[in-house]
Amino acid sequence: MKKAILTGLLAVSLGSALAVVPNNTHVIMQSADIVSLDPTMIYDTSSGALGENIYETLVKYKGKSVSELEPMLATEWKVSPDGKVYTFTLRKGVKFHSGNEMTCADAEYSLRRNLVVNNSDSGNWFLSEALLGTPSNANDDNNITWAKIAKAVACNNQGQLVLTLPAPDPAMLVKLAFIGQAIVDKKWAISLGEWDGTEKTWKEWVGKDLTDSALSNKPSGTGAYQLVRKDASTYVFKAFDNYWGGKPKIENVILQIVKEQAARLEALKKGDADIVETGPRPVLAQLQGAPGLKVYDGIPNNTATAIFMQENIKDPAVLGSGKLDGNGIPANFFSDVNLRKAFAYSFDYDRYIKEVLQGKGTKRTMLLPDSFFGYDPNVKQYSYDPQLATAFFKKAWGGQVWQNGFVLKASYRAGSVAAQTAMEILKANVEKLNPKFKVELQPKQWSEFLKNAQQGKEPMIIVGWAPDYADPDNFLYTFYSSNGYYYPRSGYKDSIMDSLLEQARKTTDRAKRKALYSQVGNRAYETAPYINVPAGVGFVVYRDNIKGLEENYNIMLSGGYYWKDISK
Amino acid sequence: MFAFIVRRLLFLPVVIFVLSVLIVALLQFLTPEQRAAAYIRSDNQARNLPLIIKQYGLDQPFYVQYWNWVKQAAQGNLGFSKSSNKPVWDTIKERFPSTVELALYSLIPLIGFGVWLGTLAGLNKNKFIDQFARVFAVVTGNIPTFVMGIILLVVFYGLLGIAPGPGQLSPESQINQMINPVPRVTGMLSIDALLAGNWPIFWDVIRHLILPVITLTTVLNAGLIMVTRGSMIEALSQDYVRTAKAKGLSERAVNLKHARRNALLPVATIAGFQVAGLLGGAVITETIFGWPGIGSWGADAAARFDVPGILGFALLIGVITVVMNLVVDIMYAAIDPRVRFD
Repeated sequence: MKKAILTGLLAVSLGSALAVVPNNTHVIMQSADIVSLDPTMIYDTSSGALGENIYETLVKYKGKSVSELEPMLATEWKVSPDGKVYTFTLRKGVKFHSGNEMTCADAEYSLRRNLVVNNSDSGNWFLSEALLGTPSNANDDNNITWAKIAKAVACNNQGQLVLTLPAPDPAMLVKLAFIGQAIVDKKWAISLGEWDGTEKTWKEWVGKDLTDSALSNKPSGTGAYQLVRKDASTYVFKAFDNYWGGKPKIENVILQIVKEQAARLEALKKGDADIVETGPRPVLAQLQGAPGLKVYDGIPNNTATAIFMQENIKDPAVLGSGKLDGNGIPANFFSDVNLRKAFAYSFDYDRYIKEVLQGKGTKRTMLLPDSFFGYDPNVKQYSYDPQLATAFFKKAWGGQVWQNGFVLKASYRAGSVAAQTAMEILKANVEKLNPKFKVELQPKQWSEFLKNAQQGKEPMIIVGWAPDYADPDNFLYTFYSSNGYYYPRSGYKDSIMDSLLEQARKTTDRAKRKALYSQVGNRAYETAPYINVPAGVGFVVYRDNIKGLEENYNIMLSGGYYWKDISK
Repeated sequence: MFAFIVRRLLFLPVVIFVLSVLIVALLQFLTPEQRAAAYIRSDNQARNLPLIIKQYGLDQPFYVQYWNWVKQAAQGNLGFSKSSNKPVWDTIKERFPSTVELALYSLIPLIGFGVWLGTLAGLNKNKFIDQFARVFAVVTGNIPTFVMGIILLVVFYGLLGIAPGPGQLSPESQINQMINPVPRVTGMLSIDALLAGNWPIFWDVIRHLILPVITLTTVLNAGLIMVTRGSMIEALSQDYVRTAKAKGLSERAVNLKHARRNALLPVATIAGFQVAGLLGGAVITETIFGWPGIGSWGADAAARFDVPGILGFALLIGVITVVMNLVVDIMYAAIDPRVRFD
């Protein structure tokens, strides 16, 4: 009997050894939870990766490009000469998963809903900035009225969607390619109890947290896949029969949330998953050469990371003596450009690429991904040069820095090995130049780190930026403008830079805009507000029977590729 | 006995009150910005930190925040967990049955094996089986759960391929579920599949339970083995055992009916706590094997300072602990007739 039970158990178990993902099915494993499947709340990559396959936007990135767009739910669009009116002709014969036909009313409802709700957890601030002239919602900005929202987004008599902007925004179209601006099924949403789309009720929905909305639980989009089932750790999708672009080759998609990295890697090797979240680059060594796996390496990096040098430190507690006496620093320590340049020449960029990025990284001339429009590779850049660093340290503060030395407190996010190594490289190189130089490194919890940095209390930090939309303004204004989001963290204010950035964000002529961003890069080199940390390249590991993944991989997509574009 | 149960259950609201005040008060040591971390998933989102604090009232005084929570809770709304992206009550409803399922399947081998080996060891003090049991308990009791789980996963799934991978179902079963879904009755997928007569799904869930159950059984067994062993040795030296032997009862009857029954009293306490622990979510085991239970959510909520999530999770554990204590007390009376409820 015992033998029979054991044999039975083994047989039951052995069944699984033969299990591989069927050819009509795509299995993805990742660690991150899905926040929401309601486009108005999608702002994280995990939710975005699913949203991109359920819903569609008016325009999308063309192939692998991050600067060219092509039609999706809009077949064509016209921009008025003053750059303030966008008119979209919508695709005909497009069905939602519910069976409803997409019309302009759906597009109008979707974008108005985003402007109305504009929850603080969402990415709708940049749509609101473009269409209403403010990133805030109506609870925080009394100037927002229903009339303004209705005027900004409306359908005309020809069934076209018309967007009216208060000022030209060259990034308007790429903002619409963000999955949060996807078109939702108005009738379906209303039937589930979502906002009814009227002036009468709009105020009740301002700022609402719709993470777990009825629409999130029962989404209906125009995308190639529809959600069939979900539980705490699994999402199951099937191909949408009435998809306007033709039924995709992969019929089923299963997303499994598996927090343990070792479990995900084993599943990938065994063929129980087609693609998994692998973890950092050192993991690649475990997977390279494994049978049945393919590595797609060298994926461009669409983030930018910098070491900030705060020019107006607002916390006396971190200044030590508060003077240039060798026991601390003054609050405006980094206001001297010579000092910033000295630090920029002290960072060993090549060593960072070798040690942290395992040799797979590039130096950047400006804090903008090199694949983005506006990036100028010809802008001069800093390199590790102890002699030049010494020369600039000697010039800084009339020689006082070199003569008396300093104690500088630099922080990084606790747990980030890359950030820690970058800071350690800088510390070692700076301290090597003069025994009177002291850099004290402090790992900090993220929330504390964010709060202090945003209040200008951190003398030196390392932080990155990931794009909301593929436009140089999203990076360069954020980092370099004194009205930008990172200004409180850097305290960098330069009137020439501000003027260039303001001009560029209003210039619709691409050639002129590109020239302006080259000037921004050059000005950044001259004034050295940040140390540009080299950017690594990405990689994915997937089963080798999957076709079409690399050809269609786009770094602006949260999931990297549309499921409809792959086959087995 | 009924009055005893009612009295003990009346204790529940007090536990809930004390726990909730304690947790909300403890969380006040974190700054509003730290508590807002639960709402932020990227650097970009951090731009809205002040708005998030304002919207969710994270900067209000302790008593206001607590009162707001009580008002909501009184209406059956335990708040919204930002780590599960669902209301707390919905999260518990969705995930708790999976935890109960894992606990139920672990319980039989855990208690059965632990008591069996402990009894054998006690009966054979200092003999080979006793030495083996002690070494086994020391070794398995000192292996961290995550090490045991990963070793089992890598060896039996990765290398030998005789156990299924992470999750509750294989891809084929997921597709079967899509075509022919198992209706949710208890929320425990294996039981629901059994009720629906869906054997392929049932077997698939059972297969996926094998490694997590072995992990839990192995790691948690040590305490039970050692306590059972010690209690058995102590019971065997008691006068009543000698009397029973003198009466001419068979050794089996003496060992099982007289000695072990008395030896099980402390074992019941340990087992009760272990069940409470299992029902509170086997955090690491659930995480390693991708089991969608309550433990992985609790860990996530704590790591992200998700206040409603932490509160909901802690209260659930509190209730489980009170109820399990009650069950242990009732078991005491069943095992030892000298124990009365007054």
